[in-house]
Amino acid sequence: MKFASSARLAAVMTAAAVALTACGGGGSDSGGAVDGKGKKLSVLVGVNAHYSAQQKEWFSDIGAKFKAQTGADIEFETFASANDELTRIQTSVVSGQGPDVYSLGTTFTPTAYATQAFVTLSDDDWKKVGGKDRFNPAALGISGPDAEHQAGIPFVSRPFVMAYNKELLAAAGIEKPATTWDELAQQAKKLTNPATGTYGLATGYKDNFDPWKFIWAMSVQAGNPLVDGKTLKLDDPSVKKAYETYFGWLTKDKVVDPSAVGWSNSNAVAAFAAGKSGYLMMTTSSSVPTLEKSAVAGKYAYATMPTTAPGEAAPKGDGDKAASILSGDNVVVADYSKQKDLAFAYIKLITSKEEQLNYQKIFGDLPANAEALKSLTDPKLKPVVDAAGKSKATPFTGAWGDIQLALLNVTVQSVPDLSNGSVDESGLLNRIEDAQTKGQASLDRAAKS
Amino acid sequence: MTTDSFKDLRTAPRPPAALPQTAGADLPSGHGAGATPGHDGPARPQRKPARRKGLSERNRPLWMLIPGGLLMLVIIVVPLLLGIFMSALSLDQYTLRKWVSAPFIGVENFVEALTASPLLHSVWLSVSYSLIAMVVTLPLGIAAAVATQNAFRGRAVVRSIFLVPYVLPSFVVATVWRTMFQPDGVIDSALGSVGIDAGLWLNGPQTFWTLVLVQIWASWPFIYLLALSGLQSVDHEVHEASALDGALWWNKLRYVVFPYLKGPLALAFLIGMLHHINNFTLPFVLFGVPAPADVEVLPILTYVTSFQSFRFGLSAAMAFVSLVLIAIPLFIYLRAVKLDDAETPGGKK
Repeated sequence: MKFASSARLAAVMTAAAVALTACGGGGSDSGGAVDGKGKKLSVLVGVNAHYSAQQKEWFSDIGAKFKAQTGADIEFETFASANDELTRIQTSVVSGQGPDVYSLGTTFTPTAYATQAFVTLSDDDWKKVGGKDRFNPAALGISGPDAEHQAGIPFVSRPFVMAYNKELLAAAGIEKPATTWDELAQQAKKLTNPATGTYGLATGYKDNFDPWKFIWAMSVQAGNPLVDGKTLKLDDPSVKKAYETYFGWLTKDKVVDPSAVGWSNSNAVAAFAAGKSGYLMMTTSSSVPTLEKSAVAGKYAYATMPTTAPGEAAPKGDGDKAASILSGDNVVVADYSKQKDLAFAYIKLITSKEEQLNYQKIFGDLPANAEALKSLTDPKLKPVVDAAGKSKATPFTGAWGDIQLALLNVTVQSVPDLSNGSVDESGLLNRIEDAQTKGQASLDRAAKS
Repeated sequence: MTTDSFKDLRTAPRPPAALPQTAGADLPSGHGAGATPGHDGPARPQRKPARRKGLSERNRPLWMLIPGGLLMLVIIVVPLLLGIFMSALSLDQYTLRKWVSAPFIGVENFVEALTASPLLHSVWLSVSYSLIAMVVTLPLGIAAAVATQNAFRGRAVVRSIFLVPYVLPSFVVATVWRTMFQPDGVIDSALGSVGIDAGLWLNGPQTFWTLVLVQIWASWPFIYLLALSGLQSVDHEVHEASALDGALWWNKLRYVVFPYLKGPLALAFLIGMLHHINNFTLPFVLFGVPAPADVEVLPILTYVTSFQSFRFGLSAAMAFVSLVLIAIPLFIYLRAVKLDDAETPGGKK
């Protein structure tokens, strides 16, 4: 019987990990200049499904350069999904062995930090990775709870922006993409023509991430940071307003394809790529390869998303810095690693200006290296670079995973209403309250630890 | 099986008239015995003493259980005990690193699981969905097995096609159905063409029935397979005898054939229920997480608690509670169908 499967799985992983020895290479700290002769550094990174051949090439390229610098080899391991990554991290955290260096998505960094299984960098450590000032300051926003306690070293930025169809906007007499959410809804109405199957906005309500990002952005722009110390503020009117605006595109403004209740982000990209939408919401520069091969090739441009909350005239608080969540990848060094200096040398290599630009060219992700970011000249990427500077970190707490899930759950449970054309206000309030309760409980646990 | 039973098989005459009654009383097991139901009526008295003194029984090679037993110990018993231990810890992302020394909180996790989590709702969903799917698949599977019992042109092809849902990996089944169930997808347009607006399949209250439907589609061939194996064990003579007695098709099915199926189908029911209740892939791929409230079945809830919220202690408690909740009816059921006491003489062949 497998009812206890999850629990047992975790336990099996533990047992298996304990049983396995001789992982991750031995050797003591060398101190001073990094000499890694005969050593092997183990690095865990996410597999890049779009560019798998290029990624393999990048691995061998970096491996060769690293060998030339330090004399050590690198062993790259990949994980296919976020779940895969979680499992690896959990196993390693429990057993105290595994890869030396991990790549983490930014929103997962607080959770990883909470496990205390990764190195919080000292000033000395920062020097070993090339100095803190080599990084885009905004990118450091989600490296740790404060400037003195940072574990995540920024590797790439992937800020969220919107794409717009230049032809459709021009045809509707719109000169400039919207800068407030209200203006966006106005423009979207002009762009919508159900007879031709054209809609103002393309976004997926069934996506696993997008919905909470909208709610976060609109709330922050209205002056509500969601997490205020030990208090969760989902019961603030700004959150309800955000949901109403986000749902309203579909139910009141009718500027979104009704099928979008079942869409994920990739469906929205497809609709935009077919030339059927004015705006594609919540996308990144990694949509470039898809769009370049589509019907809208050469006819689209990126813009930062609005920073003025619905119903407001101007951004409140630091709302104008919340065009996107601070998004991208951080690298962290495992606390159990016996070759931390070697790990830092590797990070110094991959965050150098040349390597960052090279990486941008191959994979499209923006550099976290400040100099490299400044040297980008492609006009198409300009708004994306802007958004990288206007990205704001999501609250740095181990409870963020739960809060994010609770925010997303409000949308998931509202989809039936959405599909019927109107979201009942009391139902929505109940769901938000439920999210508040769950999120606050999680925040309380975080405060206790 | 002892060597005796095979001797019985060879020597004992089988009175056809006695078949229906005895076949009902003793349940054919999955291996070999299914081919000889009913013979133990007359054979029982002779075998009993032989069973106690038989050489083969005394020299049973019990040591052969060691490899399997060790694996059971390492893969099931030890992790189960660890799981129970975990359920008494406040184990989450803050304490994971030194999990053995995580704060011991006794039954707090259990209290939270039972009072402040959707656990009981999930148990109810899991059991009801499994039962509904099972009750629908039983007649489907039996009907299909009966229909393909007698040879006809193309029977092999039909039988192969029937097995397709069973052979397909769960992940593939769920992905294909999810695609078909998209708003304005294949199913919606098909229903729309006959004027039915079915509403949402992958969100909202209807998701429960979506899950039941897909589960039925995926699992009826399992019932079909076991029913077929039961039918194969009906001897040719029995058909002849009942035909001679003038039994028509329904009577023949009801009083001659079905008793043979009771054993395999009881087994199918048990395995099927467990399989449904444990099915993680189907709801996970169909609906994703967070799942709509109407399909937050047990495996999904435990998964989310463990691997999205990192509450390993709480989720271990949930897993343990559900294990107990489901083990009770399971135990009663096992006693009732006597699938578990193979060693009791006469209890089961």
